This record gives sequence, structure tokens and C-alpha cells, in this order.
Amino acid sequence: MAPVAITTTAVLAVESVEKSFGVGVPWRRRRVAVLRGASLEVRPGELVGLVGENGSGKSTLMQIIVGLLPRDAGIVTHDGRLGYCPQQPLLWDKLTVAEHFELFAQAYGLADDRARGARDALVDELAFGRYLGYRVEALSGGTRQKLNLALALLHEPRLLLLDEPYTGFDWETYLRFWELAERRRAEGMGILVVSHLLSERGRLSRLYELRDGRCEVL
Amino acid sequence: MTPTVTFAREQLRAPFTLALLVAVPFLFVVSAAGVLSDFASALGGSLAGDAAAALSAGWAAAFICGALGYFQAASSRGADRRLALAGLGSARVAAARILASVTLAVVATAAAFAALVLRVDVAHPAHTAVAVLGFAVLYLAVGVLIGSIVGSPLEGSLLVVFVFLLDTFAGPGMTGGSPPPWAISRKAADILIAAGTGTGSPGGDWVAVALITVGAVAAAFLAFVLSARSRA
Repeated sequence: MAPVAITTTAVLAVESVEKSFGVGVPWRRRRVAVLRGASLEVRPGELVGLVGENGSGKSTLMQIIVGLLPRDAGIVTHDGRLGYCPQQPLLWDKLTVAEHFELFAQAYGLADDRARGARDALVDELAFGRYLGYRVEALSGGTRQKLNLALALLHEPRLLLLDEPYTGFDWETYLRFWELAERRRAEGMGILVVSHLLSERGRLSRLYELRDGRCEVL
Repeated sequence: MTPTVTFAREQLRAPFTLALLVAVPFLFVVSAAGVLSDFASALGGSLAGDAAAALSAGWAAAFICGALGYFQAASSRGADRRLALAGLGSARVAAARILASVTLAVVATAAAFAALVLRVDVAHPAHTAVAVLGFAVLYLAVGVLIGSIVGSPLEGSLLVVFVFLLDTFAGPGMTGGSPPPWAISRKAADILIAAGTGTGSPGGDWVAVALITVGAVAAAFLAFVLSARSRA
């Protein structure tokens, strides 16, 4: 396995992260190690891929980076301004698309003008502006995923973490997604894309494979 | 618009939930209050008449608010955590979620109280309304507390029902003995029974209800904050 050198300029540095889960009933619980010293890095202006088989621990690693899961060992350092697009759209069914943008703009601390400008640019870029007044429960799976992605981008993060971001996208939107990612990379954003299948290898700065709990550069 | 207002809007946009919020307390008070005294006498208690009717309003508001609090916390857990991690913070999200749910507790309280007023002549309407609200907010907090800890809808809702049954059936008037200290709604029930029989309640009971309710809301807030905090 190729060792991963961590540079000081990285917007994301994951060093020797370990994580295991308890399996079974409490009186006969055993630990299953999912991550056994995973390391990777993302520098500004890089579009980095992370692949691995189902159950290899990709989403676990992503959730550790974001802070949704605690790690057993290792170090994660990243730029504070990160955007996270989870695998399953985490949205409120009864709220409209516009209300989602409002809530996240408050969370990111954006002023109203800037938030509205960023929102309008994103819905144009992903072509779902006509759904701003729709409740999430009325949206198709693909449009929900667009909203899921747009919320992660609203504050123009320096590090963007995408967990299977194009699930449910049609071909046109899939291509639009990669164009969007490349534009952000050109502007200096560091992007980590996690997927069980990455066919766009030519677009990536670097590709890691998560195997046996460790990240290997392919 | 603040997150509290947005969450309250979200909850008020579920017409079936709103219908249940009104219908369940209303129908329970109208139809089940008479049966409650039969239950009590079967268990060796002394609850009867207008006191039973008044207590039924508290029970009805508590039951619907417990279930509601649970599902509010559990069903939006993922999105709420995402918002907290995005920068709003788990404390602000918890406060917004709980405050928005109190809106619904007020609706359930109003429905239960209205049904009670239609059914019997309430001697102390102000005491009764406040005590029913105490039941509602107390169980809303129980629901949020359990919803912050237990993710599975079946296990979580069963746990809420279990707490409700254990608490209410051990409460004042339901058995021959005095209620156990862990019966969290006993003081609110004391006030309701007193109001139903046309008597006031001592100040100590009001202070106890306020302390228990505030304590339950604080515990629910803490559980929510802990479940939504960053693990980084």
C-alpha cells in the first residue's frame, strides 16, 4: 500500500483514523473494525475521489470527517468552512426549497443579500429554480439530491465533501454536476467525492481506494 | 424567519397531525372520562365524577403530546443534526425544535380543555387549563427526550406509551395508596382533580408542577443537544 504523505497546505488531512463498531447482543458483543488507520488528504484546488466496495467504510470515514461519528483513533484536521452533502438527502419534507436555503443561510451566518445571490446562482446552475416554492415532499428524488448538493455549496466552502452526490441524477444533471465540481476546483475549492463507482477518473486530481480499512492511492 | 418559526410552520403543515391533535384529546375527554372512574374503582382508587373528567383532559393532552414530541425529535433527527453541524449549533436547533413543538402542545391543550368545558361545568377553568398545559408540556418533553435517544419508531413510541401508562395509572385517585414519587404527573393530576371537585390547590403543588415541567424540558433539551452535537 502506498503511504500517504500529509502536507501542511491541505484543506483536509486524515491521519491514521481507526473506527470499529460493536456487533451482537450486549452480553456477547464483538468489535468489527471498519477503519484500520485510514489516511488521505485534499489540498486546495484538488478534486479527489474515494472509492471502495459496499461496506468498505467510505461513508463511515466521511461521517467521521464531518463530525457525525466519533473516531477511535487518529487525527482529522480540516478547514473550518466545509460543505457536506450526505448520501441520503437530509431534508425536512414539509419545508419548501426556499425555506431550506433560508435555514442553512442562517446556519452558515450569511447575510440576506449574499444568501439570496448564492441561492439564485446555485438553482440556476443546477436548473431547479422553478421548484423554490415547492415542499420537499413534492420533489422527485433527483431534485431532492440537487437541493442536498446546493445546501452544501451555499456558503462557498473551502472544503466540499460529497457522499455519493449524483444518486438519482439523470445523465444531463450528472454531467452538470461534474462541470460544477470542476468550476469549484478551478476556483480553489478542495473537493472529496466518495462513491462506490467513479467512472470520471480523468477529472480527478487523485483517487483513493478504501480497502481493508486503509486508503490506498490508485 | 427564525428556525423556531420555520419548524412551527413545518409542523402546522401536516393536516392529519393537526386533525389528530384536536380530535384525539376531544374524543378522549368526551367519551373516556366516564370510563376512567370505573378503571379507578377497579384498581381501588377513588376517582369519580367531575374529577375524573378533569383528569381525562390532562391524560388526553399528555398522550398526544408525548407521541408528537417523540416523532418530532426522531423523524427529523438527520436533518436537524445536519443543520446543527452546518453552524447553527445543537443548542439553537434543540431550542427551536422544542419551542416549535410547544405550539402544538398548546393546540392539544386547547382541544382537551374545550371538550372538558363542553362536557362538565368546570369550577376552576384557569387552574384546569394551566394543569392540562402542564401535562401536555411535560409529556412533550418526555417524547423529545426519548426521541433524542431512541431512533426506532416502534421502540420509541412503545417506550413513550409505557412511561405514560406507568405514570398515569399510578397517579392520584387511581389506586388506594398514595402515588409513588416517580409518577411525574402526580402534582398536575392533584391540581386537576382539585379543580374538578371545585377546590383550589396549595401553592406548593403549583411550584412542584412548574419545577417538574421545567426539569423535564431541560432534560429533553440536554438529550437533544447531546444527540445532535459534533463528534469531531
